[in-house]
Amino acid sequence: MSATKKVNSNISYGGRAIVVDNLQSHENDPFFVKKVEEAKIAVAKLKLPGTEKK
Amino acid sequence: MNLPHYNYFTTDFREYEFYSEGPKGKIRKIVRFQQLQNEPEIYNLAFGDKNPETGEVSDSITSNNNDRDIVLATVANTINNFCDYYGNHFIYATGSTPVRTRLYQIEINGILNEISIDFDIYGVIGGVPHPFEKNVNYEAFLIKRK
Repeated sequence: MSATKKVNSNISYGGRAIVVDNLQSHENDPFFVKKVEEAKIAVAKLKLPGTEKK
Repeated sequence: MNLPHYNYFTTDFREYEFYSEGPKGKIRKIVRFQQLQNEPEIYNLAFGDKNPETGEVSDSITSNNNDRDIVLATVANTINNFCDYYGNHFIYATGSTPVRTRLYQIEINGILNEISIDFDIYGVIGGVPHPFEKNVNYEAFLIKRK
């Protein structure tokens, strides 16, 4: 009997998203809302690369 | 970038889903980009696990699914797809705790050579971004596609 190697069909290469038309949005999910609020505070203080005033 | 990654799905190129697969089974992951400011445009990258029972998303759980490089490569690929669609803007990301941020840093270290081909990566210390270096602890990360 020959050995068979299990292939994970969930893994691929090349970096192309599979576009579907029914993905649930998490825009208003409390986790992501909280993340954005925290990030806005942190980013407001950031000195971005390439934007330094001369 | 040609790292193995999970198949990932999107409807609007702002939000992505994929399934981590490993000893703990299939874990649904959600990646979302949300705009933080204009001029220059900065987007927040957040991702977490979706609990199939409660529906809650969280990044405070350690999945232990033995696939962190594949998960990170998948997230990196979503950045590429996001930039393809919305442009090469700054993307901000941090962990829910310093320990989690440190974990992300270790994961970035692991694929730094590969992702540096496509991205400029900065580590933030005291509100100041510095070019990402190994073995430096950062508060957050700033990423911009080249």
